[in-house]
Amino acid sequence: MNVDETLSAPLADLSPTTVVPPPWLKMLIQIARNCLVVTVILALLALVFGSILRPALEAVNVNEELTALLSWLLIAAIPPALYLTVGFTARTLRNAHPARALVVALLAATLVYGATLLWNAAFPAAQAAQGQPSLEMTFAQADSGVVIESIVAGSAAEQAGLRVGDVITAIRRESIDLAALQSRIEEEPLGTPFRLRVQRDGEEFQVTVNSIASATGAGNAALSRAAAGRAVALVVTAVGLLVPFNWLPYLLLGVTLLPLLLGYTWLIVATFSQETHGLLPVDSTGSLGGLTLSNWDFLTEVSRRGSVWTYTLNSFAIAVIMTAALLVLCSMAAYALSRMEFRGRRLFLSFTLILHGFPAVTLLIPIYLVLLNLGALPIIGEYIGFNTLGGIALVEIAFGMPFGVWLMKGFFDNISWDMERSALIDGANRWRTFWEIILPQIRPGLFALGIFSFVGGWNTYLIPATFSTGTRIANLPVYIQQLLGETNPINWNEIAAIGLFQMIPILILFVFAQEYLLNIYSGGSKGSS
Amino acid sequence: MKVDIEQLNKSFGTVVAVHDLNLDIRAGEFVAFLGPSGCGKTTTLLMIAGIYKPTGGVIRFGERVVNTVQPRDRNIGMVFQSYALYPHMSVFENIAYPLKLKGVSKDEQRVRVQRSADVMGIGDLLHRRPGQLSGGQQQRVALGRALVKEPDVLLFDEPLSNLDARLRLTMRGEIKALQKRLGITSIYVTHDQVEALTMADRIAVMNEGLLEAYDTPDDLYDHPKTLFIASFVGNPPMNILPIQAALEGDAVILQNDALRLPVRSERALKAAQQHGDLLMGVRPEDVTLSADGALCGEVFVVEPLGREDMIDVRIGQHRLAALVTTEKRIRAGNRVRLDINADKLQFFDPASKRSILWT
Amino acid sequence: MHCAPTATGTFLGMGMAAVTTTQSKRTSSGRPNLTAYLFLMPAVVLVVLFFLIPTILVLYISMTNLTSANFTADIAQMEFIGFANFTTLFNDQFAQKILFNTLFYVLVTMAIFNVGASLFVSLLTTHINRRASFVFRALWLLPRITAGTVYIMMWRRMIADPPFGILNQALGAVGGTPITGSEYVWTFVVIVNGMIGMSFGMVIFTAAIESISKDIMNAALVDGSTMLQRIRYIILPLLRWPLLFVISYQTLSLLTSYEQILLLTNGGPGLYQTEVWALTAYHRALSNYFGNAQWGYGSAFAVVLVVIGVLLAALYMRVFRFRDLVAEPKIETL
Ligand SMILES: Nc1ncnc2c1ncn2[C@@H]1O[C@H](COP(=O)(O)OP(=O)(O)O)[C@@H](O)[C@H]1O
Ligand SMILES: [Mg+2]
Repeated sequence: MNVDETLSAPLADLSPTTVVPPPWLKMLIQIARNCLVVTVILALLALVFGSILRPALEAVNVNEELTALLSWLLIAAIPPALYLTVGFTARTLRNAHPARALVVALLAATLVYGATLLWNAAFPAAQAAQGQPSLEMTFAQADSGVVIESIVAGSAAEQAGLRVGDVITAIRRESIDLAALQSRIEEEPLGTPFRLRVQRDGEEFQVTVNSIASATGAGNAALSRAAAGRAVALVVTAVGLLVPFNWLPYLLLGVTLLPLLLGYTWLIVATFSQETHGLLPVDSTGSLGGLTLSNWDFLTEVSRRGSVWTYTLNSFAIAVIMTAALLVLCSMAAYALSRMEFRGRRLFLSFTLILHGFPAVTLLIPIYLVLLNLGALPIIGEYIGFNTLGGIALVEIAFGMPFGVWLMKGFFDNISWDMERSALIDGANRWRTFWEIILPQIRPGLFALGIFSFVGGWNTYLIPATFSTGTRIANLPVYIQQLLGETNPINWNEIAAIGLFQMIPILILFVFAQEYLLNIYSGGSKGSS
Repeated sequence: MKVDIEQLNKSFGTVVAVHDLNLDIRAGEFVAFLGPSGCGKTTTLLMIAGIYKPTGGVIRFGERVVNTVQPRDRNIGMVFQSYALYPHMSVFENIAYPLKLKGVSKDEQRVRVQRSADVMGIGDLLHRRPGQLSGGQQQRVALGRALVKEPDVLLFDEPLSNLDARLRLTMRGEIKALQKRLGITSIYVTHDQVEALTMADRIAVMNEGLLEAYDTPDDLYDHPKTLFIASFVGNPPMNILPIQAALEGDAVILQNDALRLPVRSERALKAAQQHGDLLMGVRPEDVTLSADGALCGEVFVVEPLGREDMIDVRIGQHRLAALVTTEKRIRAGNRVRLDINADKLQFFDPASKRSILWT
Repeated sequence: MHCAPTATGTFLGMGMAAVTTTQSKRTSSGRPNLTAYLFLMPAVVLVVLFFLIPTILVLYISMTNLTSANFTADIAQMEFIGFANFTTLFNDQFAQKILFNTLFYVLVTMAIFNVGASLFVSLLTTHINRRASFVFRALWLLPRITAGTVYIMMWRRMIADPPFGILNQALGAVGGTPITGSEYVWTFVVIVNGMIGMSFGMVIFTAAIESISKDIMNAALVDGSTMLQRIRYIILPLLRWPLLFVISYQTLSLLTSYEQILLLTNGGPGLYQTEVWALTAYHRALSNYFGNAQWGYGSAFAVVLVVIGVLLAALYMRVFRFRDLVAEPKIETL
């Protein structure tokens, strides 16, 4: 039903000749129609992916991952889409007619089932690829160890020299029985090398065999996956129908946010643990526990790379210089562009707009040359050249400027002309008007740009990493990356702590200025309309 | 300070906002710019203020040509429709701002701001922010700010149109009285003719960038030189009827397809000398109910205005508005007889749209 | 940052203004205005130093055979080789793969996250409790304000091998087989970038949806439309300009951003597996990936992006009718 129909509905009621269908019939028709549409779309999609896109992609030999990714997209998108379509129409039924709602739920489930079948038809290969890992051998338990019963001809195991009747006693030095071997094979990811200790005729030697996806196991796995998928879809449908509708958006939002929530949770947990397995803090033996504050020792310690406070200071300096300069620079330029008449105004404006989409980050090579030349200037060169804080800040300021100018221009555009005229008549010149009358009006804009610049300057990695060498002027993000790139074992937990430490000012800003951050993109837009 | 405007022109791209404007404003005079929205009043005012640069022509303050003089050097005060108060400054700071820019000492600022505020009756609001004031109070602050530096010329751009009807009435009187007391040359832009008629010494009527008339309120009302002025000035507006005038003995017969009106008046005689089609103007208050009136028509609409009713009478396909006392209890559908005050008639040439009585 | 010097909603306003503005055009006969030039000067100096000169330089360097071996900061001493670098580029067997990678990366990230997810989230958050919606949007904003290195560290832990990886731990809990990051490397590249990129669209779409007059929505409610109908017939049509803006702007952002990929995969794990065009320009010139930094050749890659960037920017100016937007100042210079 579309809006037009809705609009004309009352008129239809008045006209005596129209037969008004009973509401439940209307509803059913609606549901049926929606279901039909969804099914058709699904079938078409399956067709497109299965018989056109996939071969086409294989032919041009792109990433197989495109297909894999699209598959995942479909898998992830179809159940919610289905639920949405069916659930939305069924929702109105739920309160008044629970029985009908149940019918709709069953209908939805059937549809999901049908979708999965279509899916299987479309992506047989995609599932085979996800088969169980195997060593392409079959085993039997014997007293001395695990006996190889058969080997797939031409397999890696055969090529490695294994034969039927060999006895596997251990993986590396761990002795092993049949159950343990099989569970190890299944648990390790595909491609894991197994170094098997093998006995043959009383001789002992080692063979390394990589696990690969087995063709036989794949079928079962695919089936169980399909079943799991259907179960999930059913549960989703049922939950969607039974849980009050208002919860659905929260549920969807929560689910999509999950990766982020997990990531940030890890960051926090990790900083207070010796090690982490997933999200769980563990101690050095791998059992639960091991909470510690030692990761934060970096605050007081001076490591081989120097104290963290040096880097913090550098971060701070870059951010503050950048913020201050951008505020002054952008508001001045934006004021002129927004409110002054001069030759070349249009040119400047279009130039700013082009800069706005300019791929400046790809110009790091010539900018390096510019910095080298700036560094060669007498007196000031020492502060703004390559490998100086000033130089880094300058590049940052330049990169941040097009955005800042447009943002501020939007704010300036909004200010009443009468107020500025009034100031001029009262006796001010443009310069004073700008500082005394106009700037105080755009405090929200200054605040927004300030926060944004500070966050940008505080977080910047690419420019300091490119235009500085060594540790003298490295900032926190560069420092963190240096730690992550170390060759000796990475102490993830300490780095996590430094990462969290780096985030603290941002989080504080975030709590207090969330609204400004959220409105930053739209703030500048108000003026121009 | 007298203000002279000669051949003033202003265009925005292809839009001509002001065309060949000539005006002389005497020192101490209160002149209103009156005209429909978009006719170029504000543009003219802003050129006088130095905000817009004239495309052509000369503006003189006294004997000085001010065309390229910066606004701050013109010693003017201006009151805007939006008040244009500085929201981040208190009322005191707002009023003191022009003085601060002039470099007046802090002590003197305080004295002069207080004086100006007292004149405007906002002496006790000085510590407040504009946001905490009512519309009327904000308007007073704006006026105080414009007055505080004792300007040579005061400019008003529809200062009262954001106020409610009652307040507008009060402020109208106050501004007028203040201007007379201080004797500052003032230019007052408005689209409200009642404001212009009641406040101004002279009114410059503008239409589509052109000066239509520049006269005293009485002259504009009683001796409109053009059809535009006749129909624009006066509320309710003047009735305009196409007519032919012919001399018949000592009476003049005014007639068209639906009416025939014998009148005796000097003005009608003048009209009768003009052969051919004419446009006759008559104000609704000059149309009266009369049992033996020469005009007969059906009342179409009755609009109660309080003390009087305005009735819209159809005579043939012509319409005639008249003001009648409510006691007559005229209802729509009634047939009425009307008479016209022949001494107040106006006549216009349909081609040139100019009055044939006044030149 | 992910989106270069990240974008602005000015475009959005522009889009809308383009529909509403009917202001008469006029060719400004502005005067040289010293005050205005003074206001602009600092900005102009920076633009010249870090945009204009580098652009000219990059054009020139791309026609030299500058490498770290024969490096010189003196332009006169560079060896000019004409378009040789570009010829090499077009015949480079990897350039094709990199181009394909770039297209894949831009299109997929854009479709799923920068437009798809952001629209999805803004539609949802504008239909729930206001406070809750703020919390959700704020959370979505987190990736954008987290330092790239920290954010990527988080993700590297997310997809780490068992027992460390968060994803694998969860998979293990439900009995799934562990995955490795390198198996699904593109998936993660897209997700990692998309989660940052989507907040841009989200903020713009949210603002646009919230600015839809309440009267229209109420009228639709009175008409008895369902939420889906309102989305389909009222909200989406009104989002045309913001959508166009987000798509066009984010294309450019995605095309030219490479910091996240640099940190996450550095173009690997396979040979050029996740290398994108902008990253190549960086690699060739600034990281000693192949021992010898080929500045000239790297610049050729950059030039291609610069050309695309300028063309796209010019295109946007047409689409968003730039000229209509630039209102004339209402104070003139005497
Ligand atoms: N800054 C400007 N740019 C372009 N056109 C303008 C500008 N200011 C006024 N105009 C045009 O000039 C004409 C006169 O405007 P204005 O003086 O404001 O009229 P009003 O008599 O209502 O005050 C109008 O058509 C208006 O559109
Ligand atoms: Mg006006």
